[in-house]
Amino acid sequence: MAVRRIDLMLCTGTGCVAGGAFRIKDTIENEITKYGLQNEVSVVITGCNGSCGQGPLMVVQPDGIFYGWLKPEDIPFLVQEHFLKGRPVKRLMFVPLERKEPVPLMSNIPFFQKQMLIVLRNKGIIDPEKIDEYIARDGYTAIEKVLPLMKPDEVIEEIMRSGLRGRGGAGFPTGRKWKVCSDERKFPKYIIGNCDEGDPGAYMDRSLFESDPHSVIEGMTIAAYAIGASRGYIYVRTEYPLAIRRMQIALSQARDYGLLGKKILGSDFDFDVEIREGSGAFVCGEETSLIHSIEGKSPEPRQRPPFPAQIGIWGCPTVINNVETLATVPVIINRGADWFSKIGTATSKGTKIFSLVGKINNTGLIEVPMGIALREIIYEIGGGIPKNKKFKAVQTGGPSGGCIPNNLIGLPIDYESLTKSGSMMGSGGMIVMDEDTCMVDVAKFFIQFTNDESCGKCTACRDGSEALLEVLTRISEGEGKEGDVEFLEELGLAIKDASMCGLGTTLPNPILSTVRYFKDEYEAHIREKQCPARVCKKLIKYYVDPDRCVGCLLCVKTCPVSAIKGELKYIHIIDQSLCTKCGQCLEICPPRIAAVTKLTGKEARELQSLPGPIPVAEWKKTKSASKGDFRFTPYREETDREHRGDNEVP
Amino acid sequence: MNRDQSRKVGSAMVVGGGIAGMQAALDLAESGIKVYLIDNKPAIGGVMSQLDKTFPTNDCAMCIMAPRLVAIGRHKDIEVITLADIEKIDGGPGNFRITLNKKARYVDEATCTGCGTCVSNCPTSNRVQPVQKEKIELQPEFKEKVIEIVESNKNRDGPLMPILQQINSAFNYLPENTLNYISQETGYPLAHILRIATFYSAFSIVPRGKHIVNVCMGTTCYVRGSERLMERFSDLLKVKPEETTPDMMYTLKGVRCIGCCGLAPAVMVGDTVFGKVTIKDVPDILSKYKKTA
Repeated sequence: MAVRRIDLMLCTGTGCVAGGAFRIKDTIENEITKYGLQNEVSVVITGCNGSCGQGPLMVVQPDGIFYGWLKPEDIPFLVQEHFLKGRPVKRLMFVPLERKEPVPLMSNIPFFQKQMLIVLRNKGIIDPEKIDEYIARDGYTAIEKVLPLMKPDEVIEEIMRSGLRGRGGAGFPTGRKWKVCSDERKFPKYIIGNCDEGDPGAYMDRSLFESDPHSVIEGMTIAAYAIGASRGYIYVRTEYPLAIRRMQIALSQARDYGLLGKKILGSDFDFDVEIREGSGAFVCGEETSLIHSIEGKSPEPRQRPPFPAQIGIWGCPTVINNVETLATVPVIINRGADWFSKIGTATSKGTKIFSLVGKINNTGLIEVPMGIALREIIYEIGGGIPKNKKFKAVQTGGPSGGCIPNNLIGLPIDYESLTKSGSMMGSGGMIVMDEDTCMVDVAKFFIQFTNDESCGKCTACRDGSEALLEVLTRISEGEGKEGDVEFLEELGLAIKDASMCGLGTTLPNPILSTVRYFKDEYEAHIREKQCPARVCKKLIKYYVDPDRCVGCLLCVKTCPVSAIKGELKYIHIIDQSLCTKCGQCLEICPPRIAAVTKLTGKEARELQSLPGPIPVAEWKKTKSASKGDFRFTPYREETDREHRGDNEVP
Repeated sequence: MNRDQSRKVGSAMVVGGGIAGMQAALDLAESGIKVYLIDNKPAIGGVMSQLDKTFPTNDCAMCIMAPRLVAIGRHKDIEVITLADIEKIDGGPGNFRITLNKKARYVDEATCTGCGTCVSNCPTSNRVQPVQKEKIELQPEFKEKVIEIVESNKNRDGPLMPILQQINSAFNYLPENTLNYISQETGYPLAHILRIATFYSAFSIVPRGKHIVNVCMGTTCYVRGSERLMERFSDLLKVKPEETTPDMMYTLKGVRCIGCCGLAPAVMVGDTVFGKVTIKDVPDILSKYKKTA
């Protein structure tokens, strides 16, 4: 292989592929061939870089210059300027919000600076489809150390000492799980890598498969050796086609290199892994349910104990670990339990990957040491809330978790403090919510989710979620009664007590935590019949502010139900009886006009629309005559359109 | 009415000795009416005696039924006639005359102690008689592919999920006949296969369009307005979520998080992901697939 002057690390995670990463790859290759640079510049396809909000992106090595928001039309200029003439292009670099100057180096971008990469150590550096690149980054050295030098018990001892806990959510100590399984005298034993990442808002497992599949395979092999398993399964969601393909490639390469199969690295240890796909059922992330799904049984959870580590798949002892846990194992073996246990807090060791998404400037995957303050994540790594909106809450733990409010922003992120705050670690989704998010609506969303996904085995979960949903729907439609909130709490606690698996026992968390921290919002819905965030459809009205409307017809043309009446240069009027509150008029109205607003509560109830279309000019005259009529505090929701340029006003 | 009406008889017949019939007989007998409880089976009890649990309370079936069986056996006003069919009904309300055909039992009920020795010693009965099923013929459009999928997975551990997944991705749905075929080839009961096929949201047992439009309904996409995208798709395609357009081109579907939260709101058509979709982008996305259609 020839030595190249420049390596372009082009991210090809699902996010960047959706943004056209492969089109960019083709354009770059065309351009470098055009200038005869093909022996000097190479394009390396890497897995997810993590900074998905900036995609499609690439990092120019060895300098470490970060280019984001790439478009195929930028490429000829970029190749000419940077790779031919050696002048990095400032226009395509990352510009932090508060500063005007771009930050050229990836290592200086705050999003990357605060992170500590252990599990994602190879992200954006290696080509996930080439095993050699993983090996070049010390890959498979842990298994090389374990097989000849360590006894299975020593491996378990090392993991126990490291304090590694399950990254799937519940945080059970990994070493103890392995110990229970290795003490079982029944053979064969199995290991399952759980990549059924059902929590909406979390995608670290997908990204791990797409950027570094071999680290999961290596971790699984070590785990299998420790517990005495000879076969493994990887259970992955069918919604992740790219992750499945890359894992398949990785498995077949590992088999070719003798790292899977019979007599691995010349020892007496045999091990192989098979991929099984899920088919879109949230409950299958629960370990007993997952086992039933692989076995082809009806995927309902069962009572524990016996734990899967004692009686698991096909009735044999089985260890089920999250794939993120497994990917941590090789690093612990290589660098030692003492090193690992120095990172993090007293009870939560190491690092955790979070997907920082929602209403935040820098969205993407981050790996941070346990115990980091929420504030650091939101403001330093995430770069704060877009459009200077107020931070309201962050939702962690998916449908099983809860919302952490603004006043707990100093909270250290570890298993215990999250549980104490009424949320949970979960698989690591962090969905940031700003003032435009209605907490009743969020709670309703999650209960709808769990109600749909409840397998129906336990009455408390199946019918309890139905009852919760009914009350929440009533509240969000302005039909709430006094005592509803207390009822939600009481029923929520009852469901927690009476359900069997993790889905049921954590299902009321979104309600309990929002009631705990945002009771005033529930009360506003119930007593004043208003939605402070202006989200709940039954409690809001769309309204064209006559003072601002210029009569451009944009909203009239957009309205799917023709509820907006108006002619050119006449003030437009929304017919409330026809309006379906889809919000398309608000989105289409140009931001500098911003005539369409949302009203709620008293304003909405007492809204008087104009009797008929009035020419804009005439309105201006009447308005100056009688000041104060038809005036409401305008509420403006800024949408993504500002990033995409203004709409044309005809 | 005729004079039969004047000579009303104080007895009733309950036909069918299932749980409903048993309860009816007991209620009648309690109110002082002589009851004939007839059933064409050798014993009363009906379907419920074969069930483990019952809907909707998940109570144990035997726990509901057993006290009634005992009460009927003891009640002096209930006469149980088993192995009997109704031949003829004469008369009218208040005075029916019913002719029964009672089949021979070959066992003297009065002396039998229910020891079961005769059953275990019988050389011919007490053996499972397999039902002869017709061999399932697959429709030509599915035949080759389905046989290939079933044959290649049949001998794996837990073959059902991979088979269903592969068939579902080959035809975008699970044709009914193929499920019968899977049942025949793998030995899983059809009821079990249907339970699996309807449990997972990725499977469909009704035909779906060529392009499946998955609008992500994960939390991130939801707070970024995916609900409105769904409405827009729904308007343009003129179908509701989970429905298919009449020309079988598109199926609109809400999906649980496709893991593209950095690109919220996201839409996945087939295997292609579109990120940061706005309402304005919806027609463009659809038009991309019009051309290939």
